[in-house]
Amino acid sequence: MKKLFSAVLAGAVLAGSLAGCGQSADRELNLFTWVGMFPDEVLADFTAETGIKVNYSNFDTDESMLQKLSQAEGGDYDLIIADDYIIQTAIEQGLVAKLDKSKLENIGNVNPVYQGQFYDPTDEYTVPYGAGVQTIVYNPAMVDKEITGYADLWDSALADNLAVVGNYRVINGMALKVMGESYNTEDPAVIAEAGEKLLELAPNIRLIKDSNTQDDLISGEVGAAVMYTSQVTLAMMADPSLKVVFPSEGIGLGIMAQFIPVNAPHSDEAHEFIDYILRPEVAKECFQYIGYYCTNQAADALIDEEFRSFLTLPEDFDAASTEMIQPISAEAEEAHVQAWTEFKNACGQ
Amino acid sequence: MKNTRRGLWLTLLPMYLFTLVFVAGPLVYMVVLSFLQRDESWGVTANFTLQNYTQIFQPVYLQTFADSLGLALLSTALIVLVGYPFGYFMARLSARGKKRMMLALMIPFWTSSLIRLYGWIIIFRANGPLDQLLMGLHITSEPLRLLYTYPAVVVGMVYALVQFMIFAVYSSAEKMDWSLVEAARDLGASPFTAFCTVTLKMTLPGLLSGVILTFIPSMGLFFIADILGGNTVVLVGSLIEDQLVKAHNTPFAAALSVVLMLMTTAMIAFYRKVSDVKELEGLL
Repeated sequence: MKKLFSAVLAGAVLAGSLAGCGQSADRELNLFTWVGMFPDEVLADFTAETGIKVNYSNFDTDESMLQKLSQAEGGDYDLIIADDYIIQTAIEQGLVAKLDKSKLENIGNVNPVYQGQFYDPTDEYTVPYGAGVQTIVYNPAMVDKEITGYADLWDSALADNLAVVGNYRVINGMALKVMGESYNTEDPAVIAEAGEKLLELAPNIRLIKDSNTQDDLISGEVGAAVMYTSQVTLAMMADPSLKVVFPSEGIGLGIMAQFIPVNAPHSDEAHEFIDYILRPEVAKECFQYIGYYCTNQAADALIDEEFRSFLTLPEDFDAASTEMIQPISAEAEEAHVQAWTEFKNACGQ
Repeated sequence: MKNTRRGLWLTLLPMYLFTLVFVAGPLVYMVVLSFLQRDESWGVTANFTLQNYTQIFQPVYLQTFADSLGLALLSTALIVLVGYPFGYFMARLSARGKKRMMLALMIPFWTSSLIRLYGWIIIFRANGPLDQLLMGLHITSEPLRLLYTYPAVVVGMVYALVQFMIFAVYSSAEKMDWSLVEAARDLGASPFTAFCTVTLKMTLPGLLSGVILTFIPSMGLFFIADILGGNTVVLVGSLIEDQLVKAHNTPFAAALSVVLMLMTTAMIAFYRKVSDVKELEGLL
């Protein structure tokens, strides 16, 4: 019996080492991110140039990504692109490897506006990919008011005419911003006060929807919407007469960043991929495809005229007016959810 | 004898295992989870607490339960109004008519329910087919803006569930002995009295199982409220989803689910008690 066991074991070891050999001959990269983050041509060109095969697997939510990554103990995947806040948790849990900057020749192309953020203050672990800001988009033909900031959304001119995304940190955050508070306040009393303020917004809300919110703006179901950058891009491409407003109270910023898991089987290939994407001409293709803000300042000038106004920051953009939404205490989180539920209940009345 | 018994056990074993692993297991897991504390940043800490249950008693969450119940009651009432006569008259059709009607009712099921819901979005959309029809007939003068309203959600609910009522009523009306109605009429009952004393009583089991088959799911079909109500009609289901996906508060989501399940179980038990209907045996 023992003999049989060791024979099986030896066989397994042999098979394993053979598989290992195969891997070093065919270089590959296990990329893990949302669906549709890179144009097919970019991935094909990368494989053609480097001989590295890209295995693209996707997740739906940041949370399911973190779950899979922690089950794999920081292995299995070589390169992950996810949202800022979840990366902070991943770094805290020791699932992220430090980058070897000597392998990233093009790292200087990154726009410093998107660096040194809360989830990676010294840029040791991540390289930003797409960035987004929350803006107000409205149809001047349907709204009898000039909108310049979040406070204008409370105006009765927008009655039953406003769509918002379904993210309570973003929407409760609008009320916080109007009150002059931070997105990341942890004081439950302040959050509750923001909730009270949101109840006054409820009569204006027609729709709360996370995906394809732009469709309802384009079809005329609503006259104004608070949306994410990729949705704004789609809306503007469908109807250039829409107006985009960077809210005067401050701008919520979100960044999707690339990182290499701590036990990535192909760390070298991941570095090579990051560096490839950092090339200005490649970055241009990527950002025009995903419709998020370009984080590569060397690529800004290459972006086609028709996209430039929504993929690059306006010249007078004040980086100091941005604030990122960061993880907060469980108690503050609960206050947010309660305010949000009350708000949603009020919207349906 | 012994052998057939063993054979019976062996054939049932996969079912028992399946139920244990995929039904009982997750249920126990959920109940346990509902008594634990959420972690400060991520996941769950193994501290016993009743806080998840006390939290439900906050007015905003009680309101959500009440709203869910209200929508389910309204939808079920409308489904009875539409589905009962439909099933009743369907049972009175000729054999060929029955077959055709059955087919007509089944065809929509060949398409995913989600896609059929998106069809309603197109119908309800501002200046969509419904608006154009009503304005063309000069019934209304401007778009109704029905999409993302409460009535749109109710229509979606009725549409998604009415078939269950129709089939339940049809099957009991079909089995009915119509000569009993004739007898009642011969003995001088008016058509209405005959319906109330004979037909209604005989089809009651079908009606009640139809009510259960529509009421219970309508408590949980929150995606209809989300899609046709634009997320502004909040049901317990969407609350659970929010807690789970957005707030990462798994224990509270578990507690909400446990309470929702207790509610539906209580309703089934109540129906069983008042109806004393054998047909519902399988549901509990």
